[in-house]
Amino acid sequence: MLNSIRPKNRVIFAYLLIPVAIYVFAVFVPLVTAGYYSFFEWQGGPNKSFIGIENFKTLMNDEIFWMSFQHNIFLVIACIIGQIGLALLFVLMINSKLVKFKGIHRTFGFFPSTIAAVAIGFIWTMVFDYRRGILNWILEFIGQEEHTKVWLNEPDLVMLLIAIPLIWQFIGYFMIILLSAISSIDKSIIEVSEIDGANAVQRAIYIIIPLIKNTLLVCVTLCVAGNMKAFDHIFVMTTGGPGNASMVMALYGYKVSFMQQNMGYGSAISIGIFVLSLLVIGAFQLVTKVLSSDKEVV
Amino acid sequence: MKKKLVSVFMVVFLITALFAGCGQTDDTTDTSTEDTSTDDTSTQDTSTEDTSTDDTSTEENGAYTGELSLMHFSTSEESEGNGGSDGFRTMVTEWDEANPDITLVQNVLANDDYKTQIATLAAADDLPDVFLLQGMNTRAWAEQGLVMDMTEIINSSPYNDQYDHSFFFPFTYNDSIYGLPVLTGGTTTVVVYDQAIWQEAGYDTFPETWDEVMEADAFFEEQGMDTIAFGNSGKWQANSCFLSAVGNRFTGNDWFYSMVDKSGAAFTDQEFVDSLQFTQDIFTSGVFNPDFNAINNEDARELFIAGDASAFIGGNWDVSYIQSVLEGTEMYDTTKFAVIPQPAGADATTRTHAIGMGFAVAINSKLADNPEKLAAAIDLAYKVTGPDFAEYVGANYALGGLTKVDNVDLSNFDQFTVDFYNYSYVDNKACEIYDSYISSAVWDVLNTDLQMMLNGDIDPQTVAENAQASYEANY
Repeated sequence: MLNSIRPKNRVIFAYLLIPVAIYVFAVFVPLVTAGYYSFFEWQGGPNKSFIGIENFKTLMNDEIFWMSFQHNIFLVIACIIGQIGLALLFVLMINSKLVKFKGIHRTFGFFPSTIAAVAIGFIWTMVFDYRRGILNWILEFIGQEEHTKVWLNEPDLVMLLIAIPLIWQFIGYFMIILLSAISSIDKSIIEVSEIDGANAVQRAIYIIIPLIKNTLLVCVTLCVAGNMKAFDHIFVMTTGGPGNASMVMALYGYKVSFMQQNMGYGSAISIGIFVLSLLVIGAFQLVTKVLSSDKEVV
Repeated sequence: MKKKLVSVFMVVFLITALFAGCGQTDDTTDTSTEDTSTDDTSTQDTSTEDTSTDDTSTEENGAYTGELSLMHFSTSEESEGNGGSDGFRTMVTEWDEANPDITLVQNVLANDDYKTQIATLAAADDLPDVFLLQGMNTRAWAEQGLVMDMTEIINSSPYNDQYDHSFFFPFTYNDSIYGLPVLTGGTTTVVVYDQAIWQEAGYDTFPETWDEVMEADAFFEEQGMDTIAFGNSGKWQANSCFLSAVGNRFTGNDWFYSMVDKSGAAFTDQEFVDSLQFTQDIFTSGVFNPDFNAINNEDARELFIAGDASAFIGGNWDVSYIQSVLEGTEMYDTTKFAVIPQPAGADATTRTHAIGMGFAVAINSKLADNPEKLAAAIDLAYKVTGPDFAEYVGANYALGGLTKVDNVDLSNFDQFTVDFYNYSYVDNKACEIYDSYISSAVWDVLNTDLQMMLNGDIDPQTVAENAQASYEANY
């Protein structure tokens, strides 16, 4: 029946051309030009000198870049555990019979991911503020005054502190995805398991999670990809500080290109981020595939 | 039928919206505020659909009629607290009104955004016709051929003999000058303190040595106040507002001139490392507010205003703000200015503060192809840096510009303004602002390391070595 009202193929193609054109223009063209510029020594302006793979050799030896990569990996792991883990937990809790007002929980869970990352960064900077921040106020209130500190100035803690708003913001995003995955599970399976005497935890581990494995894989990929290019929060909260303690790769690329005016090397960093992201995502997908290959679900 | 019409209309709208974004290179709205309301004190022009900024429609008599693009950071918000910005905007408006045949297209951004945007435009070789050039970019952009050599333009300026020629130094490269220093010569290192509170601590004026400051620190701690407020979250503040003066006290002027000229000085010279060591010691001593690395100068000056700190170290932009906030209050009469105290062991200079003109009016080198347009640009440059500007800011704000005017009448100004005028131009000795020179790559490395050093996480010798490595690679 649908074939009779289906538009002609070329009409569909014409409509789709626009978003694809935008995508190519905004994603592929900069990638290719960055690849081109990374072979030059370019300090801004019209003069470029071709230096081959010198930029990439510098990149391999650049301590700050590899430290940023470590920070990115830390964020990826923290966010997989935090964002996806907590999202799964919340979704399972919301779905249980004991919880009322499911709609409100979903809305408020999703709400932070609609706010701009910059605004979230500013809000959490205020939370961590030394003088008037809520965190220090709570510590004083419960009598732990000696633990108050300038939170964003602690090189050891700062990555963890930055991960918190990042996790907080996107829990809702993954909640929606997982909620739709779980609601596509056939209700009769759940009911049968309840009759057979499985409690909530057993249901979750042995029935629900295996059935939404593919969705979880998608979520992990999204999480990893998003965190390899994390920028907004860190830029607003600490600009990579103190020193380079919270530097991430995207921010480092920005710093080198625009603050140090070294565009050729900055382009090499961008290519580096691209390659490393592909490798990390590929590695995660491989691991998940291996873990799930023996329990094939049709 | 109607549905098809709607869908076709939406597609056309989408495509137009796409290309409207692509075609625009001249954005004339004030982007420092989020709304796009037009500002009635500055002339604005709707952007044209073509992508070139050169509109050469010259008349036969040689006078230029067409577009001239100008980019700067004197936003309307900034001009309310800052005399230099107000003077600049006034001069631009006057020039625009005196040249009705020329369409002046202005692109105004807040200072931090301006610095990023102009660097991006320089990298894309898409600079506006007239713009503000920062000292530390002069060498790089002159080598790239982006900025016009203005040496002859300056020599043939009608106001040449009134210019204070010492201000040209940051914009000079290989004996050519690339800009006319613009806005007002302001200090970047000043101690603003509340004399009333310091008198309670036992000091009639701000102490002359840091040892005395440390003694007073005990008193202020009992009061529950910070002794000195400082904000370094942007990383540049420790360099511009502190190290530029403290470094000079240890090394003297010649060391820095040698750094700029590449004639033998190095960051690893012992005197500079000593100044770094002192900076680390003083910041880890507790004299400053504990969160100096987490807040910026705007937050830090609020601490002083609110009375949570008895003093504040910053630059003339902070003083303008403090003045506009405190005017009329009790604290306005007791707020005084002092040089950064002398560090122990520093004996090269005393009572110096970093002052200069950080930006200059520069002209895009492409204008050499269009003599009439170039003449218009030169005229604009003369206007905003000449005696009209200097008289305006002198009479209204007691500030100085590139052009010296005699008889600045200070009698109209209140004590606060007179004190600051005397601090900046009369009572103390000048030294150079570090980041008006050399290159942004070097300062970025130094500033990042400096932030760690102030926490005590890296030692001064390593900071000096890293900075030297970047200096040798990038300058």
